Amino acid sequence: MRTIDIHAHLVPQCLWRAFDAGETWHGIRHEPGAGQGFAVMEDKRVELGHPKIRYTPEARLRDMDEQGVDIQVVSIHTPIFSYHLPPEQGRLLARDFNDEVAEMASQWPDRFAGLATLPAQDINTAIDVLDHAVNHLGLKGAELDMVVNGRNWDDPACLPLFKAAESMGAVLFFHPQPRDNLVLARTDKYGISNSIGVTVEDALLVATLIYGGIFDACPDLKVCVAHGGGPACFGMGRLDRGWQVRSEARLHIQKPPSRYQRCLYYDCVTDSEPALRYLLDHVGSDRVVLGSDWPFVQWDDSPVAWVKSLESLSQEEKDRILWQNLEMLLGV
Amino acid sequence: MRSIDIHAHLTPQCFWRSTENGGDWHGLKREQNARGYELAVIAGACSTLPPRARFTPEQRLADMDSLGVDIHVLSPYSGFYNYHLDVATVVATSQDSNNEIYDMIQSWPERFAGLATLPMQDVKAAIAELERVMVQLGFKGAMIDDKINGVTLDAPEFLPFWKAAEQMGAMILFHQGGNTVIGPRINRYHLPNSIGNLADRAITFATLVMGGVMDACPDLRICLSHGGGYTCQGIGRMERSWHDRPANRGQNTQPPSQYLQRFYYDCIVYTESALRYLIDTVGIDRVVFGTDWPYDMEFDWPVSWILSLDSLTQDEKEAILWKNLERLLNL
Repeated sequence: MRTIDIHAHLVPQCLWRAFDAGETWHGIRHEPGAGQGFAVMEDKRVELGHPKIRYTPEARLRDMDEQGVDIQVVSIHTPIFSYHLPPEQGRLLARDFNDEVAEMASQWPDRFAGLATLPAQDINTAIDVLDHAVNHLGLKGAELDMVVNGRNWDDPACLPLFKAAESMGAVLFFHPQPRDNLVLARTDKYGISNSIGVTVEDALLVATLIYGGIFDACPDLKVCVAHGGGPACFGMGRLDRGWQVRSEARLHIQKPPSRYQRCLYYDCVTDSEPALRYLLDHVGSDRVVLGSDWPFVQWDDSPVAWVKSLESLSQEEKDRILWQNLEMLLGV
Repeated sequence: MRSIDIHAHLTPQCFWRSTENGGDWHGLKREQNARGYELAVIAGACSTLPPRARFTPEQRLADMDSLGVDIHVLSPYSGFYNYHLDVATVVATSQDSNNEIYDMIQSWPERFAGLATLPMQDVKAAIAELERVMVQLGFKGAMIDDKINGVTLDAPEFLPFWKAAEQMGAMILFHQGGNTVIGPRINRYHLPNSIGNLADRAITFATLVMGGVMDACPDLRICLSHGGGYTCQGIGRMERSWHDRPANRGQNTQPPSQYLQRFYYDCIVYTESALRYLIDTVGIDRVVFGTDWPYDMEFDWPVSWILSLDSLTQDEKEAILWKNLERLLNL
């Protein structure tokens, strides 16, 4: 029995060291304020409110012990993706982050694995960085945003990255930005951009990859979507209906979208047992993996205890979610 | 056994008549595209009208008969919300549409009931038209968009509208018109509709709840079309956000999940498992029959589909098909 968590955010120590020295980190400036202050970049100002995002690896390990998490597969805190940078600057940011994650994984190989960040603003550079991260640093794949400077992932220009990830066996973990997503254009009130916007982004990403034909083009590509893919699974009937009645929805796929659901992996951050049960019933228990959303979700006890407590899941399903699926997917 | 459909659109005959031979209907025009499809042209923007949108009432009744639908609770085509046009124009298009629905109800009182369209960009005019249709024309309520020129319906200027709707006992059906939150991001694969409608409906639920509208108007009756979209699936995350982040709390006095049973939801979710999930989340007395007639996203053979579902009891099927709306709308 182990527990492996694919959804664990990291603000790297190299960023904090730069901030402490009064320097910027790849264009990100520190602005003191409540909590850890703010990270200010080109067009936004991100609250660094949660105390745990400054944790050293040692403090993080103690927290993981309390949560019963054996391995965190860490990935960059999404507001600092910084895809607005010129590609070569993006490469430097990624190098700093990826090197630090590789170091964590090599110092605590039983406790940490890593997902790279990529300069996705330039696909060729991103492929180069992914290759280095996977084949030289031993990272398991990369985390990506749902949209890159307005470019959606079904854009043909992105296909070489998917092909490269597929050939490397790299996992692509997609995670949206809680305070910078498409729901904000409608309302900035009541945290709706986080509570609803994040999961709408998850669902849109699932649909875009499926309709875009990515899983026909790359049948062995390993994609994992945060927050259980949001309501993609619940809303799959409408995606199928769209495919039935609209020729533009059939442009790249010969089968209805629901037939592709099982091509992806989904974490279990669904915030409700019925929603998780629904996901399992439709995508299969071999496609759902443990996520904690560390450190942003205040689990009553821990994500592990939550999964273990669910009466509608069999022990076999719990074991698959807690460790078996990710053990197989990542080879950890 | 009856069946009462709350989600059935009407592109009024007055539009078709007025736009024959290049004419206009309060400035709205009609064109045909290269393939012969009819397009409504409003302030330079075109929207495609499906073939059955042109049906006369008699043709509609024949189609309803073939589908096994007894009553259409008619609502004017959402493409004619016209909230972006000047108020006088929209009052005119709204009154024409609503009057035509009234005429249909008069001619076939056993087959039609009405939801109005309203000039929502002018709250006073919207209240006046709602009062006219409720008091003088015997309507059951109105259908409105999730946003009025970009503004969600929790904005304080709409509170008088909600108070009036509550006081009149009007059922307000939410249905998108024009662009959803998805459109600006991606326009491909019908995603602005297939994801956007569902996202918009969840945002409407959240803004009405956290904007305090549901607390301010305890007897307000709201129906969220397309099964409330992502509302019931997403309630867990809304609930956690409310509990964990007090700064995100709005004017609601209870956690968001406590408001699920303040709304009604049509059954347009396409799959048995999603409908079962909706019923289990919001309660069977909250789910009503809707079909989205006559658009391509309507669901096929809706009455027999509901009847065929193994996971629903006979009582649940009857509640959805007619009993809930019979009770709610006094039909």
